[in-house]
Formats: sequence, structure tokens, C-alpha cells
Amino acid sequence: MATAIVQVRGLTKTYTRGGEKLTVLDGLDLDMEEGGFYALMGPSGSGKTTLLNMVGGLDRPDAGEVVVAGEDLGALSGAALAAWRSRTVGFVFQGFNLIPVLSALENVELPLKLTRLSRRERREHAEYVLGLVGLSDRMHHRPGQLSGGQEQRAAIARAVVTDPKLILADEPTGDLDRVSAGQVLDLLGKLNSELKKTILMVTHDPHAAERARTIVHLDKGQLGRVEEKQGALQRA
Amino acid sequence: MPSFKLVWRNLLRRPLRALLTVASLAIAIFLICALRTMITTIAAGVENANPRRLDVMSSSGLFNELPLSYQAKIERVPGVEKTTKFQWFGGYFRSQKHFFAQFAIDPETMFDMYPECKVPPEQIEALRRTRAGCIIGRSLAKKFDWKIGDTIPLIGALHPRPDFKAWEFQVVGIYHSDVPSFDNRTLFFGWDYFEETLKAGGVPPGVGVYAIRATPDANIERVIADVEDQFKDSEQRIDCATEAEFQRQFQTMFGNIPLFLGWIGGGVLIAILVACINTMLMSMREQTADVGVLKSLGFTDGSVFGLFMAQAMFLCLVGGAIGLLVAWSTQRPIAALIEMMFPGYSITPQTFALAAVVSLVLGVLAGILPAVRARRLRCVEALRATD
Repeated sequence: MATAIVQVRGLTKTYTRGGEKLTVLDGLDLDMEEGGFYALMGPSGSGKTTLLNMVGGLDRPDAGEVVVAGEDLGALSGAALAAWRSRTVGFVFQGFNLIPVLSALENVELPLKLTRLSRRERREHAEYVLGLVGLSDRMHHRPGQLSGGQEQRAAIARAVVTDPKLILADEPTGDLDRVSAGQVLDLLGKLNSELKKTILMVTHDPHAAERARTIVHLDKGQLGRVEEKQGALQRA
Repeated sequence: MPSFKLVWRNLLRRPLRALLTVASLAIAIFLICALRTMITTIAAGVENANPRRLDVMSSSGLFNELPLSYQAKIERVPGVEKTTKFQWFGGYFRSQKHFFAQFAIDPETMFDMYPECKVPPEQIEALRRTRAGCIIGRSLAKKFDWKIGDTIPLIGALHPRPDFKAWEFQVVGIYHSDVPSFDNRTLFFGWDYFEETLKAGGVPPGVGVYAIRATPDANIERVIADVEDQFKDSEQRIDCATEAEFQRQFQTMFGNIPLFLGWIGGGVLIAILVACINTMLMSMREQTADVGVLKSLGFTDGSVFGLFMAQAMFLCLVGGAIGLLVAWSTQRPIAALIEMMFPGYSITPQTFALAAVVSLVLGVLAGILPAVRARRLRCVEALRATD
């Protein structure tokens, strides 16, 4: 049996909006196995992105515990959490979030500046990963000169260039057309099946969720149905 | 800090804005240099004053003449080593537009008492021998292209010749001084020619200022008191003061100009600081999502702080460097332009250093607010800027 890479216990997060308290996560428990491909679904406001942010160490819970890759995130200071993120997690966002003033290659190189790699090694790593996502011929283009699908592939290259265990994708196909979305999902599937990356993907799209092996439903901040989909990647 | 490339590219995100900010900074730093130099030029007279030299003038004002007989009395005061005399001539060359200072002096004593006025001994000797000779400053010679042997006609506005013709002075020497407060645009001519010419018209001249050189061991306060005491019952009472004090009184003729210039400089600094902070805040707003991305990638709050500080510092230092370069390279034309009001305009190393520090401080102040905001920004909030 695979080990749990993510263990969430009693996770609670409350926001105050307009003077009113809004409980986004309400004592959530969740385990995710290493090497899994998880789709996180649920209606708007169900806490999907909040959970993703907690697991990625971008936000801190009001109560509960998040242990990722054996590290209790609540016990880490801000700087230690940042260092942990750079080693352990790769993020893919709906809006791609590439730095607009840097080329695709420079964007992918950016996380490697936090490693001990030399300039040449960083460049080689970034070029290699951009080749994996099919952007060798566009690596010197800036985000504004790339299509949406190319931007998202560059963002995926940036997410995996440091070889993290966990890829967190927040609506990665939300801003893409059907063809580009298919390419991005293929890429995520490949990262999971060939490179054994654990993927947690927030999505509204049932077609995108079909690519995952496990679909986790959230409802009003609590865990709902969990669907295990054997051979999901092959069916896609 | 993520990388210098990111600092540079972020600054060029809005090239026109960056260019205008750098240009305003350059202008501000240039103005700081120029304004401070005007103030230091005014103050140079006090700073460069010789502590052993005293000046004596009428207690009713600089333009009231003292009798020639006073010189001998002053020389009898204990502690007085040497004296010399000056009289403001107040003439003009061709028209009043071409104004420069002219003094009747005693060549036997003046050049000895003012060693900062550098002139070859043979030229001093020539002034002694030549009745209507004069020695002129290097800048003055350059301005009018006057050479040794030339004749300078001057209209004696304050001291007209008895025949109402122009005074004519023959250039016998050219002096220069490295001391900024000693003007290089003055004409000195011999006392004897001045006195004899005026006496012929029945109007013997007086003395504008007596200068005293005290003995090395003299108690200056005591000498001043004794000199003033000599004339307390005279018809024409006198004020005796150290050269520094005399220069200070002379500066009061400028009124509040130094203060006024200081206020302008301060205003320029505040205006440019506000403009820089505004530029950096706009820049930070544009980069909010980038802050979220950098933090999500593992860059610390401190490195994000550094990114914004580096942007502000770079902007201000480039603007400051250009301003310093402009200030340095325009010294000569500015000096020529304002030489009447601010003789010896020359930017001191201290002013350059001050302007460089001002650029640095502007960078820190302009960067600190956006940098602190970026540092405090929560990653999820920053990412939401584009989501």
C-alpha cells in the first residue's frame, strides 16, 4: 500500500467578509497517497482552493493539522515554509501566473535560483523541462507572445523543474480552449504516470476530473463523496 | 532577491515612466548640487578667511570713506604687523553692463598681505614702476581677451577724473587665486595714480577699507579693541573686525538668499521623494501577482522586500548618477553665467558626496513603503490579483 503524502486532520478555516463569519473548511479530514492523481471538485465556495492553498503551505488554517511529505506545516516558520515549498511543491494556476517580463525559459529557471545549481546547470535543467512540455522552440518568448496553452505548459514546466513530489493545480484548464486543455491534462497525466508525481487538481470540469484516478468531492467545507476511478488515465 | 534581471525588467515594464522618473531625479540631484554650491560659494569667504587679518571700515557703512591719516595711527597699535588700504573705484568698461570690481591698492603692501593673490614678482614690480599700471585677474583677462600691455579705459562713475575723461590703465600683470573667495575678475591699480589724479581736481580720496595683519602672537580680540579705541573720539568712528566677521557682514548683503536657496533645495527633495514613492507604489501594484508567484515558488518575504528595495535604489542611483554627471560637467558654463553673483562657483567634493548620499536615501525612502507592503502581502491575496 502506498504511503500518505498528504494527511489533513480537523482542518478549519474561517474568513470574515462584510462583518460576517464564513466557515470555508469545517474540520476536514483527508489522506492522499503518494503517486496519486486527485481531482478536487465541488460547488463554488466549497473550500477547494482554500484546501489546495493549505496543502501547498500558502495559507495557514485556524485549526487542524496539515502534514505533507512528512512535514507538519503548522510547525514551520514563514521562511522554513517558503524553503519547504521550493523543495516539495509545484503550483499550476488557472491564470498561468508567469512573470510577464521574463521569457518562458527565465520563468522556468526562476525556482532553480533557490537551489545550489550553477547558472549553466539551471539553464540546462530549464531547457530540458521546456523540451518535455514541447516548448523548445518557444523558450525565448515572453508570456505575452505565447498562446494560453503554451503559457500553461510553461507554467507546468516551472512547477516541475525543481522535481517536487507534489503538483498542486488550481483549475489548470479553466482559461483554455478544449484542445489546449486536453494537452495540459495529457501533460499532468504523464507527470503522474511516468514521473510518479502526486497531483492534486482543483476543477469544475467533469471531463478534466475524469483524468484523475481519485475524485474527491467537497461540500460546504466538508469531505463528500470519494470516487476511485481505476485506469482513469488510460480512458482519457 | 530573485535576480537583478528581474529588477531591471520590472523597471522597464513602463519604460517612459522609468525614464521620466530617472530624469526628474537627475534634475533634482543637479539642483541640489547647484543650490548647495551657491550657498557654499557665499560662505566660502568666511571659511577661507585668514585668522590674522582684520578689516577696518567706517562704522557708518562700507561706502563712507576713512581719512588717509588713520593708517599711521592703526600701525601704531600693539599687535599690528602690517596694514594696507583699499578703495572701491566703481568704474565701468564701455557700459554698465560690463561690470567688474576695481580697487585702488598699495602695491607695496597688498600682495604681501594677500599671498593667495598669486602674481609674479616682476609684475608687482612693474605695477610699482608704472604710474597707470594695473594687475587684473585671470578670468577678467580671459573674458575681455586682455593681455599684458593692453590699455583698459574705465569710466570713473564714483571717482571721475578732473578732466571728465576716461581713466586709462595699462595691464602690467595678471594674477590668479585658487581660493574661491578671492575673485579672479578684479582689477587692482596703484594708489599713487589714484590719489594724485583726484588731488589734482581738488578732491583727495579716502580709504574704503584698511586691512590689518596682526603679529603671529597677537591677541586678536585685544588688537580689535585697541584699534577701535584709537578712534572712539574721532569724527569718523570705525569698526574693526576679523576678516571672517567682515565676510559674514558682507554676506548679510545677500539677505536671506542662502536660506531661500535651502528652502528651494528642500522643496525639490520633498517633491521628488513623493514622485518616487508614487512611482514605486504604482510599480508594486502592477507586480502584486508576481509577488504571489515568487512567494509560492519559495522566495521568502525578505527576498521580495529586497526585490522592491533594489528597484527603488537602482532607479534613484541611476538618476542620482546622471544628476551628478550633469552637475560636474556644467560647472564651467554655470560659473561663467553666475560669476557676478557667485564668484568661484565650484562644486566641492563634500557637495558631490552629499548629493550621492541624498540619492541613496531617496532610494531607501522611495522603496521602503512598497517593499514593506510586498513583504507583508499574503501569498494567496497576491495571487488573487489576477485570478
